[in-house]
Amino acid sequence: MSQQIDPRGPRFGAAITTLLAIIGLYLGLEQQPAAAAFTVTLFVLFAWSVFLPTYHPYALVFSKLIRPRLKPPSDLEDARPPRFAQQVGYGFAILGVVGLLTNVATLSLLSFAFIFAAAYLNWAFDFCLGCQMYLVLKRFGLLGK
Amino acid sequence: MNSLLLVLSLVAVTSLVGFAYRLLRGRGRELERHELVDLDRLPTQKNGIPTKGLGRNATIIQFSTEYCGQCPGVRRQLAQLEYRMGGLSFLEVDITDRMDIAAHFGISQTPTVLVLNSEAELVYRIGGVPNLKLLTDELRKLGAI
Repeated sequence: MSQQIDPRGPRFGAAITTLLAIIGLYLGLEQQPAAAAFTVTLFVLFAWSVFLPTYHPYALVFSKLIRPRLKPPSDLEDARPPRFAQQVGYGFAILGVVGLLTNVATLSLLSFAFIFAAAYLNWAFDFCLGCQMYLVLKRFGLLGK
Repeated sequence: MNSLLLVLSLVAVTSLVGFAYRLLRGRGRELERHELVDLDRLPTQKNGIPTKGLGRNATIIQFSTEYCGQCPGVRRQLAQLEYRMGGLSFLEVDITDRMDIAAHFGISQTPTVLVLNSEAELVYRIGGVPNLKLLTDELRKLGAI
């Protein structure tokens, strides 16, 4: 059995990611240099959740401050699909950094837009794009066990 | 000003996608071609115990995976439905290691629920968490009460 998590945890993280991405997108469109800070922050947060998920700041804030105030969840969720979704987000965060390094602003903007759309759908509508892709990709043999 | 407009349109479009998802979620659709399902070839089970058995009026089959967060909740609801409705049989198939079955039925998300009539013909399917009221209406049409 793989790790089980509280399904509200990823949605809490998605709320913060949504905010970061939309502010970053606005600053990027306005050609503000501060947008770069948002690209880097998103990159660090996604990398963190892909490589060290247990010690992620979102996870710590959720488990220390938020979860004790909530009722226990009716079901736990397998960590694999949301973790896969984080990897997809990480891919787009990398795209943003590439845009920064090569000075191609469009890439960074695309990265913000995609991260915003996916995180917003997850947070506000409980629709996890990456989780939905998980089974489809497995079906076509593109993901390992 | 222009960037603000762009950002707001992205929010609007993504919201539309989200609302469409919430609206269509669990609604299911009637199937034109009634495929005959050979239950003997499906690893159907009930509470983890291999079980065969077509319902007198209708059979619902839930396709689940180990990593599906919403499957246990749906299983409880459908088991209750089976208990309440006469002539209805509820079976479950774990497709975690049976991507061939997923491919055969074109399943791209779990849970997916298939409804069979008394002749084991596939008449209705629901992707995602089913809307119980609509599902009950479908089952009534097949004679389960």
